Amino acid sequence: MWEFLDSIENSAFSSYVRDTPSVLGYSTVLALHTFGMAFLVGLSGVIALRVLGVVPQLPLKPLKGLQPLIAAGFWLNAVTGLILTSLAIHALLRNWDFYVKLAAIALAIVALQKMRRYAFGETSAPDDAAASPRARFWAAAMLLFWGLAVLGGRLTAYATNIRIETARAVLVAVVLLLIVARYLVRRANRAVVEVRV
Amino acid sequence: METFLRTWLEWPSVAAFVARYTWAWPLGETFHFFGIILLIGGVGLFDLRLLGVAKGLPVATARRLLPWGVTGFILCVVTGFMFVAGVRANVPASPYDVIKSNPWLQLKFLFIAFAGLNLLTFYLTGMDRAVDELGAGDDAPRLAKVIAAASLFFWLGVIYFGRLIPEAL
Repeated sequence: MWEFLDSIENSAFSSYVRDTPSVLGYSTVLALHTFGMAFLVGLSGVIALRVLGVVPQLPLKPLKGLQPLIAAGFWLNAVTGLILTSLAIHALLRNWDFYVKLAAIALAIVALQKMRRYAFGETSAPDDAAASPRARFWAAAMLLFWGLAVLGGRLTAYATNIRIETARAVLVAVVLLLIVARYLVRRANRAVVEVRV
Repeated sequence: METFLRTWLEWPSVAAFVARYTWAWPLGETFHFFGIILLIGGVGLFDLRLLGVAKGLPVATARRLLPWGVTGFILCVVTGFMFVAGVRANVPASPYDVIKSNPWLQLKFLFIAFAGLNLLTFYLTGMDRAVDELGAGDDAPRLAKVIAAASLFFWLGVIYFGRLIPEAL
């Protein structure tokens, strides 16, 4: 098994991407991985914000049109993720944080599919209707798992004590930002309602 | 001028903070990524709608996402400032020297400026008002599409050059 993984890690392709002085190697694959993340998480996050009622003015059904780009982001991430993994298979497979990241991605994808099914499946509901509690549950779960996946990805290169300290700091910062965001969103939505009245 | 910039750009307190609290740098990286996600989710979606993606969205409602994109940009600016001002915590170089010598960082700044000018063009040409009238299924004017495509190109360029910065550190 390890011999097989060795052969991948030391293949001509992996060696080129890892060792080439050209910016078209490792850094470009990393940049493409970031593009994929931005489209996958950013656009599916927009659907989640609508489902959760944070941006209630957005009609839900047209957001279905984002699905091809969300899928493209996923596949771009899958391919570049496999390439990046092949560059350091040994180190990554011995890194518990890598498994946390993979598990978070898998759970986020499951939550995304469930959210889509419940949010877009209610075909008879009017476009401005609030999403069902099940759709909202999966939207919140998806955002949580995406956040964990991004955090896990950033922390792969750090030591365990730094990972734990950072995870605590991120949790505190996210809670504080969510409190501020909740206040601002409520104020903005109230202003929209007042303008309509 | 150089002395002024060297002094102004170097924030020993930021470098000291990053060196003392080992979670500060990865926290900044994580929020930089959250910022990128918000930027593409907000500004990117608006650009995509003008280009004809999710055409059923009235443009005025897609505009409701722009504050989220702006929030993402602010997160990236704040954390990006921390990376530059606190660079000495990670590499033995002053922020001034890094800005002066790193072509990828310079290109990143240039593309942020281009994205800003592009946004200015959107408002100065009256496209912001023209697209606000677009309902579900309506096509955006050609100029609005060009500006939207340029916006996506510049922001993806900003992300790309940002990823290349460590190559020249």
